[in-house]
Formats: sequence, C-alpha cells, structure tokens
Amino acid sequence: MSHLFGHHGAPGKGYSQPAPVLPASELSVPDSLLRKQAPRWPRISEPEMVRHYTWLSKRNFGIDTGFYPLGSCTMKHNPRINEVIAQLPGIADVHPHQPEHHLQGLLSIYHEMQHMLEICSGMDQVTLQPVAGAQGEFTAVRCVQEYFRLRGEDQRTKVIVPDSAHGTNPASAAMCGFEIVEIPSRVDGRIDLDALRAVADETTALMMITNPNTLGLFEADILEASEIVHSVGGQMYYDGANFNAILGITSPGLMGFDAVHFNLHKTFSQPHGGGGPGSGPIGVKAHLADFLPGPIVKKRPIAGDEANHAIDDMWYGWYQPIHSIGKVQQWHGNAGAVIRCWAYYRRYGNGLKTMSEHAVLNANYLRHALHREAEAAGVSDMIVDGAETDVAKHEFTISLGPAKESHGISAMDIAKGLLDMGYMAPTVYFPLVVPECMMIEPTETESKDTLDTFAEDFAKVLQEDAETLHNAPITTPVRRVDEVYAARNLCLRHPYDED
Amino acid sequence: MVDQLPNLGREAEMLASMGMSSMEDLFADIPDNVRMKGPLPLPDAQSEEEIIADARRLLGSNVALGERVSFLGAGLYRNYVPAAVFQLITRGEFLTSYTPYQPEVSQGMLQAMWEFQTLISELVGLPIANLSLYDGSTAAAEAITCSVRVHTRKATQKNTVYVSELTPPDRMSVVENYCQGAEIEIKMLRHNPDGTVNLSSAQEAAGSCGVYVEQPNPLGVLDGGLPLLKEIIGEHTALIVAVQPVSLGLVEAPGAYGADIVVGEGQPLGSPITGGGPIYGIFACSKPYLRLMPGRIVGRSIDVDGKEAYCLTLSTREQHIRRHRATSNICTNETLIALMGAMHMSLLGPEGLHDLAVRNMAACALGKQKLSSINGVRIPHASSHHFQEFVIELPGTARDCLAYLDSVGIVGGFDLARWYPNQPNWMLVSFTDQTKANEIELLAAHIEVWAASKGVAA
Repeated sequence: MSHLFGHHGAPGKGYSQPAPVLPASELSVPDSLLRKQAPRWPRISEPEMVRHYTWLSKRNFGIDTGFYPLGSCTMKHNPRINEVIAQLPGIADVHPHQPEHHLQGLLSIYHEMQHMLEICSGMDQVTLQPVAGAQGEFTAVRCVQEYFRLRGEDQRTKVIVPDSAHGTNPASAAMCGFEIVEIPSRVDGRIDLDALRAVADETTALMMITNPNTLGLFEADILEASEIVHSVGGQMYYDGANFNAILGITSPGLMGFDAVHFNLHKTFSQPHGGGGPGSGPIGVKAHLADFLPGPIVKKRPIAGDEANHAIDDMWYGWYQPIHSIGKVQQWHGNAGAVIRCWAYYRRYGNGLKTMSEHAVLNANYLRHALHREAEAAGVSDMIVDGAETDVAKHEFTISLGPAKESHGISAMDIAKGLLDMGYMAPTVYFPLVVPECMMIEPTETESKDTLDTFAEDFAKVLQEDAETLHNAPITTPVRRVDEVYAARNLCLRHPYDED
Repeated sequence: MVDQLPNLGREAEMLASMGMSSMEDLFADIPDNVRMKGPLPLPDAQSEEEIIADARRLLGSNVALGERVSFLGAGLYRNYVPAAVFQLITRGEFLTSYTPYQPEVSQGMLQAMWEFQTLISELVGLPIANLSLYDGSTAAAEAITCSVRVHTRKATQKNTVYVSELTPPDRMSVVENYCQGAEIEIKMLRHNPDGTVNLSSAQEAAGSCGVYVEQPNPLGVLDGGLPLLKEIIGEHTALIVAVQPVSLGLVEAPGAYGADIVVGEGQPLGSPITGGGPIYGIFACSKPYLRLMPGRIVGRSIDVDGKEAYCLTLSTREQHIRRHRATSNICTNETLIALMGAMHMSLLGPEGLHDLAVRNMAACALGKQKLSSINGVRIPHASSHHFQEFVIELPGTARDCLAYLDSVGIVGGFDLARWYPNQPNWMLVSFTDQTKANEIELLAAHIEVWAASKGVAA
C-alpha cells in the first residue's frame, strides 16, 4: 500500500519556488488573521509523489484499461488529440472576464457548437452554460418555471416523470420546487399513455422523459405523449442522456419536445475522470429562448476596426436573453469540455449519424451475442430481457431475476464475476423497474472482437456456481468491499493520532 | 471518423448474425413521422491533423493571459501548476474512469479522493469534505440550501439566510436559482466602508439558518471581523465561509473560528483557469451537516478479508437512490480536477502552500505600494489587509483605463462596474505567484500615464 499520509516527508522547506517579490517579513499580517496550526499533511518529493499517484492509477479501471459497458454512462474511447487541444494556451490560459476581442476564437467555437446542437436536436437556441447533465435539467426546468410565471400560470406545480427515469430528473425538478408525479411504465417498459392521460392536467408544468428510455427502448408513442402534455398546456422535456443513439436519425424537435439537455461528455467525448467533469448544455424552442441563462454567443458582420481582432468576417459576442433566469455556474460553462467535444464533433461532422448507427449496431450485436453464448453454454434460462423488444437502441437491459430465483445468483454477483474476467461491470439495479437489472452499453468504439469475447466470458460467469460468485472478485486489488461497514464506521478522512 | 470506429466495414457481417440486412433494420422501431429527412446540414468530417490545425488557428487567436502582463483575477487566478500534475492526470486509468460504482476495481480513484477529502479537511479546518461540486458558486449555493435544511426547524427566522452584499452578481444569481425552489429568503449582510463585515448587521442574522461571507472577500479584503461572527449569530445559524484555498497557507482556517461550512473555488490549487471550467468547487462541513450535505463522499472500509479498502458511502442522500428527496441533483461532478488539486497540495506540502500564499500576498503588497503612490489613484480599502487583490479608485472610468492598458498589451484587471454599477471608477487589480516586480512597475507606470491624460498631474 502507498499512503499519502504514511509518508514521513522531508523536514524543512517544501516544494521549491522563486522568492516572493517582497520578503515575508514585510507583509505585516495581524496575528488575528494568521493561521495558527499548519495543515497536517506530509511534504513529499516529486519522485515520491509521482510514484504514489502512479500506484493509485494502477488500482483503477478506465476505458483505456478495458471494456467498460457501464449503461447510461457512455464510456466510449476518448481521442487523445482532445487532451492536446484542451491544453493549448488559447483555452487553458484564458479568463472568462477577458474582453470579447481577446476571445474571438473561443467564442466562434461556442457559436459553432450551439449551431451544431441546434441542428442535431431541432431546437431553436442552445446555451452552453450548464456544466453537467443534471445541471442542464435543473436549468431547463427553471426556464420553464419562469416561462409559466411570466404567463401567469402559477398553478402549474407538477412535473411528470416515468418510473424508469434517471434519478436526476425528479431531483432536479424538486430542487426547483415542483411536485413530482411518477407514472408507471407498461409491462413492456414503454410509457403508458393512459397513465399519462390520467395525471396530465392544467397543473402540469412539464413532463421529463428520456428517448430512447433508460431500458434502451425507443418510445414509439412519443408524439402522442407530447400531444397529451401540450393539450393541457404543459411542456415536454427531453433528457438527452441517450441522445447518442439517435443523432441524425430523429431529433427531440421532431418528437415534439420544447427543451432538451445534452450530456456533451457522453454524446461526444470528454473523459469522465472518475466522476467528472462533464458538460450539460440545453436547447429550447423559440418560446423558451428568452429565459435561457447566458451568456450565449451570437454573431454579426464585423464593423469598424473589429477586423483587427476578428477571425473571419463575423464578430462573435456574448448575449444575455431578456428574461434570463440568470446563471447556474458563475462562469461560461465548462469551456474546456466544450472544446474537447468540439474536436470530437469535427471528427464526424455531417457523419454523426454513423456514430449513432454504430452505437446501436454494437448494442444490438452484443445483446444477440450474449443470448447466443448463454444458449450455447446451456445457461440461457438464467437471464431474460429487461423488456421485450425486437431491437434495442444504444443500450439494453437484461434481468438476472431467473438466476436469482433458481441459483441464488444476483446481478451484483454477476457484476463481481465480470470484474474477475477483467471487465468493468455494467450498471446494476437500474432502471428500478427491472428486477436484478443489468444495463449494458458497449458504445460505438468497441470492436466486434471485444464484444464476442465479452459475450463468451459473460456466459462463463453465468456457469459459475453460486458460491464462487458470492466470493467474487478474487483477482482485483481488493475483494468485495463492505459498504455497510463503511457506513456504520464512518471514516471520511485520515484519522491521524485519533486512530 | 474511420480511426474511431472499429467496426466500420464489418456492419454486414454483424447485421447478418442478427438476421438483419441493413443498418436501417436497427431503427425499424422509430416511426416515420419523427424521422429526420436528409443528411445533417453540417460540414464534412475532418482528420486529426485538420482538427488540430483549426484548433491552433482558432484558439491561437485568443489572447492567452501568459502572453500578456495580466492583473485579471476576480475569482479565478493564474497560479503555477507543477508539471507532474499535468503528466499524471493524463494517465488513462484516472482520465477514462467514471464514478467508482464498482469499488474493487476503483480503489485508486477512491483512495485518491479519500486523501483529497483529508487534504481539504486539513486545509479548511473542518472534519468532512466531499469530492467536489461544479465550482465556487454552486458550492456556495448548495451550502446555503444545506444550512436551511439543517436549521430551519429551530430557526426563529425560518427559511432565511444572510448573504454578504459584496457577493458578485454572477455568483449571487447562481445562489438565487438554487434557493428559489425551496422558497428561501435571501437577506443582505451589510459591510463597512473599509470593506469589512458590519457586525451590527450580522446581529440581525442571529436566528436565521445561515450566513454567507467570503475570506478574502470580493474586494480582496481579509476581514479580521469574521472570527467574531459565529458568536454573534449563534449555534443554530450556520456560518458559511467561502475561501480562496491558496490563502489558507497563511490565513486562519475558517474551521478554527467556528465556520460550519467552508466552500470555495478550488481552481487556484491544481487547475488552469480554462475559460472558467472545468474547475472544482470545494465543500467541507462539520458533523451536524453530514447527512444533509450534497455530493459524493468516500469512506474507508474493509474488504471481506479485512483488508483496507475504500468505497462511496452515505449514498442514500443522493439522487440515484433518494430521487426527488435527494439533498442535491448532482451526479457528474469535477473529480478529475479535484484530483489535480490533491496532487498539487501533496507536492506543495504545508510549507510549500505557505510559501505560495506568501508569494501571492507579497505581489499584492508590492502592488499596493506602487499603485497607491500614483497621483489621482486612491485605494478605498487601504486600511484593510488584502490577500491577492484590492480595489483602486481611478480618476476616470475603469472601462476607459482598461481599454488604454489593453492597447499597450496589459490585461489591467476587472471593471467593478460589472458588479457594483454605482462604482464606475473602481478596478479590481489581482496579483498571483506569477506576477513579477517589473510587471507591477509597468502597470503603475501606464496607469500614471493614463491618469495624467485624465488631467491628473503626474
């Protein structure tokens, strides 16, 4: 084990730096402002520090390490050029408060990204300000809230979400002060229009829905759902977590949505970095555009001496919508993530549809391969589809319900068995509507060979006996971690001598 | 795109194995009436070489602060980040991982984040820290809503918080957006002419749910009155202090004077400014706030063999479990940038952090000496102590002065009229460890020239 706090550290001064421009003795800070006790962590030399973090990295699984079929999270390959671009001084070393004429290049990329997202989504205006998908949801719900306030429709206090929705949907709407109405899915995992009709009324502000939904199924009745909500004066919100399945094939605009968020880091590519950063722009139809948070980039022909700073014959400027809800992050969104996603988009251009097609091809191929291999291994009775369907979209669900019932093997057991085979496990126990659920998203950047091998290995795990799987994993840096112990014996920091 | 899609050219074979004949079969479930007609009206795909060339051309046209002499801070600061941080952060095992839902194969990031929690905890003087929020403003907003969740039942001023009137409007706007759904009333905490908190105004906050102040504050002032605040507002009102983390190498940790929640823009520790994101928000608190706080937390545990192991804990606060009753909607956070912060802190050590704070403050002190000697330039809060920035009052508008400085290649500072519209002549001048003595001389000389052009005798 390498422990940061186990290092003894060298005595005396730490990390070497240039001398201050004035001696510390001239600073005259009153004692009342001065820190009394230095933070207790060791000063370690660079060789120790590099080795510590390299050691830690070796105990971590990333896409670069192996197949990462974590459903809903879209763990696709991150092209390295994006990292090189994000370190260019023209993005890494710029400040959001610099004047427009210092940032024409950045603003033009913002404008290009707004425009591309508008085209792909069928929305009229995009803002790049929200920094994560959940924040995009929150932002869009706030815009809808202000829209209704301005129209005097304060009675719209309800937000409808299907029971298969991401947890962020109800959480974001509740943060805005809305009452959440959850409607059950049909047995085939799709939206139940009768259940929607039963709850949609003049108190409905919004319906939030993902399409393809969290089971990876396309909601073919989506136009009807939009009509039901619109007929009572409500708005339709598209959770763009699964937008990567439909680029160039359909769009939220065509499905009748009024607002949408994009998980830019998933649909395009920003490394997820152990939990973040992300980027969660939103797009809206024209009637909601005045409520968006700014700044938004608009362009116009250059005038006067602007040519000295312009990158072409257009001037790119920040713009604040008239009824803007204000800000949801203090700066201009996650500019570094936007740049990476811009580089990713440029790689596909008008061929983005091919990206979605391959995401869907890989998901369906893997779904078939899993069933085929399970069949061949004589264990097909242990899994069933999470929902009945001919085709899935970019992800699919299976239920380990039968395995649990007949063999006492849970989705978690299979997940841990897959870790022993050298894979990251799929998402488990989500969506909640599927018992012993496993949600699998291979992404477009996995080869057929990888998918074939994974399917074979998956069937091997299904053949393991219950005891072996209950003991899995055994090849990982640590074995099954006791989460109950962690919660009951809270240790959230190095305890020092309080140990 | 060819180099990104391993199965280009293998479509037919893969489709055939599923009994399909065309890619179209995969989308048979999407009704015709929602289909996009025709191709996306976007440019053609580019190769990596073309993309980097365009990126260099477009981003190269931006003015990077490092190319200029710069005094622009106002919440984001150009500190030197050691090379090892950038090298290590690109290790694919960190870079391309996600939320550690499977702890057995995520021990590296989990332990690194548990260490980050400890580093932040030590830095701010509070026992608990999370894995980061989006930025300083969302951390402030989440702290305020958290204080209401914890205190409103016993508060005499229910659902009410007091926020420093100096809080920049952009940050305030985030706070308002986060507070409005919970119907939280935001009242203003007044400040004295020297930039410090008005302690009698603070007395009005007693019995409310929380008080939000910043140290150093948005005027750059280190407020000696903050240590008195907790006693004034009382046990049942949260003292929330936002910090610039580098300052804590020198300045008292808020936990030591009774802060209940400490937040801040983590950026100066570990991260370039990057146009304002991705950066990371710091969130730390004391025990009474633990179960109602936002964000992810790592706990130390054991595996089935009793071996030390780490995992996410207290997840029942979070949206994926608690849904609409969650303490926050946050899912994706800024872990990778927080990891850069942890790396920077571990390399600095406490002494290195102290030295870094001294360098920032020394540059600021030298700046104060030089700028205060310019005829026509006044330092409104001169009697107060500053960490790395202060306000100068100019004999003309800051806007005009900044335009002049820009014309001679200096990024002069921040026009405070954008925050405080009734102060058009106020400019916030910021200094960091990167500020050189001769750059300060240059700034002073040019402001003197500009001031003279406004009719002020040199």
